[in-house]
Amino acid sequence: MQQLTTDVLVVGGGGAGLRSAIAASEANPRLSVTLLSKVYPMRSHTVAAEGGAAAVTLSHDSLQAHFDDTVAGSDWLAEQGVVDYFVKHAFDELVQLEHWGCPWSRQQSGELQVRRFGGMKTERTWFAADKTGFHILHTLFQTSLKYPQINRLDEYFLLDLLVHEQRCYGVLAIEIASGELVRIVAGAVVLATGGAGRVYQFNTNGGIVTGDGMALAYRHGVALRDMEFVQYHPTGLPGSGILITEACRGEGGILLNKDGYRYLQDYGLGPETPLGQPQNKTMELGPRDKLSQAFWHEQQQGRTIQHPQGEVVHLDLRHLGQRYLLERLPFICELAKAYVNVDPVKSPIPIRPAVHYTMGGILTDANCATSIAGLYAVGECASVGLHGANRLGSNSLTELLVFGKVAGREAARVASKPHSAATDPLLSSLTEQALAPLKRLQNSKGTERWHELRQQLAASMEQGCGIYRSEAGLQQTLATLGQLKQRYQQLRLGDTGKAFNTELLHALELGFGLDVAEAMCQAALERKESRGAHQRQEPSLTKRNDQDFLRHSLAFYQTGSEARIEWQAVDTSLSAPAERRYGGQPQTDKPPKETS
Amino acid sequence: MPSMAIQLQRYLPERDSTPHWQAFNVEYDDSTSVLDALEQIKAEQDSSLSYRWSCRMAICGSCGVMVNGVPKLGCKTFLRDYPKGLQLAPLGNFPVEKDLIVDMSRFLEHLTAIKPYLIAEAAPQGQPHRQTPAQLARYKQFSNCINCGLCYAACPQFGLKPDFLGPAAIALAHRYNLDSRDSGKAERMAQLNSDNGVWGCTFVGYCSTVCPKGVDPAAAVNQGKIASTLDGVIQWFKPAKASRNKEQR
Amino acid sequence: MSRKPYQPPMPASWWLKHPAYRFYMLREATVLPLLFFVASLLYGLYALGQGESSWLQYLSWLQQPWVIALNSLALVASLFHAWTFFVLFPQVMPLRLGSRTLPAWLMVSAQWAGVLLVILALWWLLGGMNADA
Repeated sequence: MQQLTTDVLVVGGGGAGLRSAIAASEANPRLSVTLLSKVYPMRSHTVAAEGGAAAVTLSHDSLQAHFDDTVAGSDWLAEQGVVDYFVKHAFDELVQLEHWGCPWSRQQSGELQVRRFGGMKTERTWFAADKTGFHILHTLFQTSLKYPQINRLDEYFLLDLLVHEQRCYGVLAIEIASGELVRIVAGAVVLATGGAGRVYQFNTNGGIVTGDGMALAYRHGVALRDMEFVQYHPTGLPGSGILITEACRGEGGILLNKDGYRYLQDYGLGPETPLGQPQNKTMELGPRDKLSQAFWHEQQQGRTIQHPQGEVVHLDLRHLGQRYLLERLPFICELAKAYVNVDPVKSPIPIRPAVHYTMGGILTDANCATSIAGLYAVGECASVGLHGANRLGSNSLTELLVFGKVAGREAARVASKPHSAATDPLLSSLTEQALAPLKRLQNSKGTERWHELRQQLAASMEQGCGIYRSEAGLQQTLATLGQLKQRYQQLRLGDTGKAFNTELLHALELGFGLDVAEAMCQAALERKESRGAHQRQEPSLTKRNDQDFLRHSLAFYQTGSEARIEWQAVDTSLSAPAERRYGGQPQTDKPPKETS
Repeated sequence: MPSMAIQLQRYLPERDSTPHWQAFNVEYDDSTSVLDALEQIKAEQDSSLSYRWSCRMAICGSCGVMVNGVPKLGCKTFLRDYPKGLQLAPLGNFPVEKDLIVDMSRFLEHLTAIKPYLIAEAAPQGQPHRQTPAQLARYKQFSNCINCGLCYAACPQFGLKPDFLGPAAIALAHRYNLDSRDSGKAERMAQLNSDNGVWGCTFVGYCSTVCPKGVDPAAAVNQGKIASTLDGVIQWFKPAKASRNKEQR
Repeated sequence: MSRKPYQPPMPASWWLKHPAYRFYMLREATVLPLLFFVASLLYGLYALGQGESSWLQYLSWLQQPWVIALNSLALVASLFHAWTFFVLFPQVMPLRLGSRTLPAWLMVSAQWAGVLLVILALWWLLGGMNADA
């Protein structure tokens, strides 16, 4: 087996991974940095983010306001110290990206342009047309080419972490092109492997978003925090779930039900704003959790529109006009035409909520360190504590940069210090353990097919762990997950080759997904309240319950049995929990109407 | 649902010495993309079929394939547009690794060679540069490249001479050369002036036709020829001892 | 070793595979009849230097049907090449007014207008010479 040695190993080539690798290289230029990714970095799913990245920019905005919006958006489940650090460093990171060449959209004067975004009190979202993630990712990737000490391992699949007595010594990976195993021994490892949205069916996420890093850290005893909070983006295309950015609404797009009525005013987000005059935090600019939940209620009451690919509502952009749409939302126009044959200049776009983001993830402290020495996590795979129960749009692109830098710097610091190296016998024995699941898969003589199991996983998660949850539904999905895990042991691979065996990789990803999905369901089951993106249907649980649940859930992996949930206090030192208010005037949120 | 016959070029390196064609039948409706069809085949008919994909929305650049001999993104090409049937093959001009997967490493090398990053003297401390929409518009189009490689599959010069930097890499070099914040043009011109740079292009122009993002790499390459010519003229008139790097901004 | 990349061959007939390539080859092939036209011109210059009989011989050579045919082909080829060149020109030298680019059709039309002007000027010039004679 080939063995590579590096000072810092970053796993994942998306925004967070690239930012970490650059930060590590700058923190100590003498370190060797290895960037391992299962796809070429520019394929990473950061590429699909559209709307923008938030930072306090305008003179009438304030750090306090960004802090307040984020904490309220999180339904007070964000770590407030972390949010404070985030808002203070957001602007500098976006400027850094500008200095690296990111083509941010500009005002006539040449200064930066900012746009409105959901749940944000003031315009503070920087954007590059409606391809912000794409431009951020390519800017970071291209900038990373400047650093000779960054050695890329493109298309290497992470098989396992090499962990012994709470210390990470490196990873085991597969070179996808050859199928050969590679052991990478590292002074510090940063996981930046992205979310796990693909455990669901309707999805804005790419096929690679399968929770690999989350599952591996989890299996090694690191807690997954707040996994019950899964964000449904309110505007995905029917069928595919392709993302239609929130910026559509930031620019003035409106949501209509089958009666052409702006139904959001019925869900505590009104009063209705005049056409073409969007107001921050009101109506269509409410937070994502509330908007997706409103869709659910409209559907229950039969006020959604039938589309060949399911129930939808309409996102109407026509009043913005062709010229404005082509300047601000060119990609949306392209996507709508290609995938639902709609020209947004002439017709409203059919949309429905689709799973978008996992708020929870690998538990880290404010420095992105996990409970395993030498192991860091950052970006969507991590839970540094920024998003709590609901993420505000345009906070996650900035998160990649702010905390990507922290993770890279910290990993470099640890790798620069003398640290105990693993002995060869230890590495060999860790490698043996790490290989067990792979060998089991390759030698299995069962009859199950990965594709069928994956379908059932996604359908079951959608069914029982969707926008609204109930004990019965969650129990049902947990039972299904249990069965799927059994059947997973009986997988049979049709492809026995080594080169580009994508079936093997999909099967491994499915294994990761099953573990992550179980953590989500178990945490959702035990959070007996409704908060942010986690909404319970039982009449007694439809309200937020701060007394019992102003706490993070921590899911711990248990071999052979269900996840164990523990609870962790939330840092509310800077802002006491209060009611989340949206809309133009103080209103109390309507409780969800019980219909089923 | 109607069904369609698809001819797929297969190549399993551990078994085959050369690629061969294999026929599959897939069901499709109005929304079925080539990528959906491939997924259907892999899930239901032959799990050893390999291809790259991720975003499904024409932005990650993974799923380029030859569709009836034309380079296309699989996720943005629909079966409804090919009632007479489909032939799918890996992107042309690249070495084939397995089935529809090609070796992109040469493309990545070319991309790296042209220094595709901002080379700036000094940035304003803690503040963004100023850049007007007009200055942004000069290069914006060339910054929209998703690195899918379709233009390389369309470029016969790259097919004949793989050392040719090729459309996307040159477009990216041009993007940075046109950026008002950049002052690294001199460092990039050495690559662009070479035989494998802009002068390797004979303006077939097909790269721009197949580009799924309207980048128009042919325009970038041929604008690069003018830049390269001017660069040559400037060199000619320059005092022999002057440092090229310092003066040529 | 499980990796065994297959390098597809690039046959000499590669340009027959796609209409875009055939069009490209046709554009490049316009040079052939134009070469003949240039050779005819050079022959004419040479004949002029050799005296009157040589010049008359050249004129009668010019009037042979196959020479006329080849030169007509050269005219068509040069117009075709000019057309392709004009269409490509806005790509190579885009004219910008602020953040907008001058539309391609305008630049193409302007080039044809230029061609027309040159033809008219030549016609006027040659017509003037005839009037003097």
